[in-house]
Amino acid sequence: MELLNAFVVSLQAVWADSGFSAFTMGNGIMILVGLVLLYMAIVKEFEPLLLGPIAFGCVLANFPRTGFFTDPGLMQAIHYGIENEIFPPLIFLGIGAMTDFGPLLARPVTLLLGAAAQIGVFVALVGAMLLGFTVQEAGAIGIIGGADGPTAIYLSIQMAPHLLGAIAVAAYSYMSLVPLIQPPVMKLLTTQKEREVAMEQLRPVTKFERVCFPIVAAIIISLLLPPIASLLGCLMLGNLFRESGVMDRLSDTAQNSLCNIVTIFLATGTGMTMNADDFLRTETLLIIGLGLVAFIAGTAGGVIFGKIMCRLSGWKINPLIGSAGVSAVPMAARVSQVVGMKAKPGNYLLMHAMGPNVAGVIGTAVAAGTMLAMLK
Amino acid sequence: MSQPVTTNPLIIMLINMTVVFLVLMALGVVINLIHIIDPTKPKAAPKEEVVEEAPAVEAPAAEPVTAPVEEGISPEVVAVIAAAVASMGYGAGSVRAIRPLDRDNWKNSGRNALQSRF
Repeated sequence: MELLNAFVVSLQAVWADSGFSAFTMGNGIMILVGLVLLYMAIVKEFEPLLLGPIAFGCVLANFPRTGFFTDPGLMQAIHYGIENEIFPPLIFLGIGAMTDFGPLLARPVTLLLGAAAQIGVFVALVGAMLLGFTVQEAGAIGIIGGADGPTAIYLSIQMAPHLLGAIAVAAYSYMSLVPLIQPPVMKLLTTQKEREVAMEQLRPVTKFERVCFPIVAAIIISLLLPPIASLLGCLMLGNLFRESGVMDRLSDTAQNSLCNIVTIFLATGTGMTMNADDFLRTETLLIIGLGLVAFIAGTAGGVIFGKIMCRLSGWKINPLIGSAGVSAVPMAARVSQVVGMKAKPGNYLLMHAMGPNVAGVIGTAVAAGTMLAMLK
Repeated sequence: MSQPVTTNPLIIMLINMTVVFLVLMALGVVINLIHIIDPTKPKAAPKEEVVEEAPAVEAPAAEPVTAPVEEGISPEVVAVIAAAVASMGYGAGSVRAIRPLDRDNWKNSGRNALQSRF
């Protein structure tokens, strides 16, 4: 009898300590959300390298009593890296090492398209404030329109950490949906004649220009907007690794191993912010809706400014490259290429669209820096 | 968290967009300055090319020995190649000469294998 009692008490203790006893309906829903995101990442291949770990992180975050954020360990270390803005600049280091600024240097006027596309950020900010979000929350939500995951995470952590999960998921989901969201907006705002504009070949860019640009840009932007010095400093450092020609090993590490490792940490950690208490709210749906508005407005802003530049340049700039100003490197540039090719086979816009595309990355970071300076 | 400078969304939008445009325009100026002071840029290279190209176009008329299209290539093949080049966005003047590749199949196979990965 005593043995049976001991057995029952032990079983009760195991049950009481298990996750099942503390499992809530909210946890169940969030695990389902995680599984749906995993399906989208693996089967539909929507940004699988990011959405995969985010989705799995979401599943992990909804196991009760794991102590992920309270007990020292790997998960707490990952959370520390996100909370203290360590991972986004490291991702930017890799992006810098992967990015060719050549098209931007060859035609600097396309910087304006990257600036115009940032209108999406502020349209969403206005929308969020009208829906009752605080100014800091609205700024963090608006940055989804920049289509730049690391910057969105960087800004959210500083301005609205409780919304990080929803903002990151909205940003990465819409980035993966760029090929579906942008073309209808681009076609709606341009005429067939505008879409057929062929652009002149870009001038060759010398190594001197390629090496000087990241150094000078880092100095100017960091002095002007210190809050984003670590983001843009890392972007330019990574690019210097790439362009200097004498740091190939560092460039290789930054754009491959380091970037992959940090992506695993950043994406998993972001997914782990999606616990039921923080995510299952009406605000999440509003954020996802506002993110879509931001993407559409950003695309429209870039294309409309592209139309203006098309006229001012005497039909030498195809307005379709304006949509690439929303960052999402290089997917947005590919969309410009595909839509341009459909309008006129043989019209290659990819390299031309890379100019506004990388300008968009810088523009989004500048917008984030300005908001941090004004609103934080 | 300190107090925000303003909470008027339209003013925030206006100020931020202005700053984004100004910073990116400043970067544009920097890029142009770097291009201007670049000591390694090729000097007046395009002009020389034009000077060289002009007689090159007239050269075949003066020296019929260097025929742009080799014998054995029919006018239909020339038309098809010119059309293919034009469909890629180049003018008819871009075709300077049409010559058959050497028929070394081993060499061609090697080239194809190397280029197929791109």
